[in-house]
Amino acid sequence: MSSIIHVQDLVKTFKIYHDHKGYLGAIRNLFDRKYDLVHAVDQINFDIHPGELVGYIGPNGAGKSTTIKMLTGLLVPTSGEVRVNGYIPWKERKTYVKHIGAVFGQRTTLWWDLPLSDSLTLLQHIYEIPDPLYKKNLAMFREILELDAFMNTPVRSLSLGQRMRADLCAAMLHDPKLVFLDEPTIGLDVVAKERIREFIQFINRERGTTILLTTHDIADVAKLCERVMIIDHGKIVFDGKLDHLLRTYGGRRFLSVQFAEIYPEPVLENADIIKMEGNNVVYSFMRDTVSASHLIHKLSESYRIADLEVNDQPIEDTIREIYEKQLLYNHNHDKKNPAS
Amino acid sequence: MKRSLSLLAKLLKIQVRSQLQYPTSFILEVLSSLLIQGFFFVAFGLTLIRFDQIGGWNLGEVAFVWGITEFSFGIMDMFFSGFDYDSFGPMVRRGGFDQLLLRPVNITLQVLGSRFVLRRLGRIAEGLVILIFSIIQIHASLSIVKVLYIPVLVISQVLFFSSLFIIGATTTFWTMDRLEILNVFTYGGGEVMSYPMHIFPRSIRLIFTFIVPAIFLSYYPAVYILNKPNPLGSPAFFAFLAPFISAFMFLLALRFWRFGVKNYQSTGS
Ligand SMILES: Nc1ncnc2c1ncn2[C@@H]1O[C@H](COP(=O)(O)OP(=O)(O)OP(=O)(O)O)[C@@H](O)[C@H]1O
Ligand SMILES: [Mg+2]
Repeated sequence: MSSIIHVQDLVKTFKIYHDHKGYLGAIRNLFDRKYDLVHAVDQINFDIHPGELVGYIGPNGAGKSTTIKMLTGLLVPTSGEVRVNGYIPWKERKTYVKHIGAVFGQRTTLWWDLPLSDSLTLLQHIYEIPDPLYKKNLAMFREILELDAFMNTPVRSLSLGQRMRADLCAAMLHDPKLVFLDEPTIGLDVVAKERIREFIQFINRERGTTILLTTHDIADVAKLCERVMIIDHGKIVFDGKLDHLLRTYGGRRFLSVQFAEIYPEPVLENADIIKMEGNNVVYSFMRDTVSASHLIHKLSESYRIADLEVNDQPIEDTIREIYEKQLLYNHNHDKKNPAS
Repeated sequence: MKRSLSLLAKLLKIQVRSQLQYPTSFILEVLSSLLIQGFFFVAFGLTLIRFDQIGGWNLGEVAFVWGITEFSFGIMDMFFSGFDYDSFGPMVRRGGFDQLLLRPVNITLQVLGSRFVLRRLGRIAEGLVILIFSIIQIHASLSIVKVLYIPVLVISQVLFFSSLFIIGATTTFWTMDRLEILNVFTYGGGEVMSYPMHIFPRSIRLIFTFIVPAIFLSYYPAVYILNKPNPLGSPAFFAFLAPFISAFMFLLALRFWRFGVKNYQSTGS
């Protein structure tokens, strides 16, 4: 199947000016203005197929929002190619945006002073949504997102969670083929997050809408996305199945053992003791190196065990390790330069 | 085009409805703005009674430039407050402009429809009252042509002030700092246009001739309409440049605006 989003060698470089201060400075700025270059997005490539729900993650300042802004036509790239749904976003802005929806979690598209219902009516006119479709969609979203309680409240008085639901509704009213969500769960409590995840899943599964989602909550990705792309320092360092990522990098497991008596040094081959309190000991080992059953077998040969438990490393920790140690960055780097 | 206008009408209508939600407080606001703005003219009139004239113009004559400027500025401020520097800048900074760019409608039209301040009716009414007061005093010097030129002048001034608003709004694409100097031109322009401009020092007149051509929008036309001598000794046709200068400025401002939007899309906020 051909891709709905095609991104090739995409680059966005910002200039950060160091201006001279004051009125005289303002004049000097006209002649010599010094700046630094920030490579916010640095030669990225990817394709997304119709109906995919892709998680786009990476640490702060990695370039996620910049990518989304280019895909939605808000920013013109420094170089590279973008085709979304057959359009070049920033060139054919007005026709292009009819086919997409976008939610930036930190902002709202709704009219601050107007009741939610008025905002939605205005959007109907703006997108020229035919009455039957508008009514059908609104009725459906009202129910799933539970909007009824605050339909007549001015947007400025909505809670963050309510506003996010309202914004999601606003972005989907015109049946976009493609939706960009930049941190749609930011600042929400567990219940609100869950509701939003369900809505995103619904839109993707029931309507086949293609969705690109950025988030800092890895649980969003774990629940929603098969495919995940990780960007760091403007480069895509991973693009594939989340499972695969976790199996490769999240191979760490923990074996917690309660011994029947206290052993001074209950060492075990292929596993490190990371915690020891009386007869409670926690070992850490790698999935690839050794199996849990092998370790348990070895332990029971030498020691008397009262109880034990095996845990995988939490996903958050795996991702944090990947960011902090830049595991993927080096990994890809090596692949490209096998000599070094 | 037709669709754009009907959308604009919808945007304005919904805002008007929400601003009229509390009618009493709305009426009080309009009245108080009418009275506060009108007070300045009354105070000015009272001092003028003692001196009788300012720069050879009597109260009814000054009321003409004062009234027409207030009236036009009020109308502009009501329809173009989307471009008001003081609200547009914060909107860009908060990312509100991005939200407009995400919609399938002309961006200029959206900014125009983004803010409509019905309260400005107070200032418009004030200008109108002063203008009518003036016309009662000066009607002897009016002819049909002069009377017909008055609405042309109003439209020209509206275009003139809106150009300044649009240019001011556009600068926010480059600098996040408040440029006080812009307010000097916009509001200062409105201020000097409310007086017979030959009373001001030469330097100020030059600024409001060559940098911001305010003098062509108020003083020269008034000299013609009121049959006043022109101590500046400029050609008589200066009285009729207002519509051309303002239309030119408006087109220039729109160009600058479009250039600003383009630039914004390549630098971000
Ligand atoms: N308009 C701009 N001008 C200059 N630099 C910018 C601009 N927008 C973004 N940047 C820089 O580009 C880099 C990438 O920013 P971006 O907002 O894309 O990151 P992000 O991945 O969305 O981060 P976060 O998770 O914090 O939202 C950062 O270093 C940021 O400071
Ligand atoms: Mg971001």
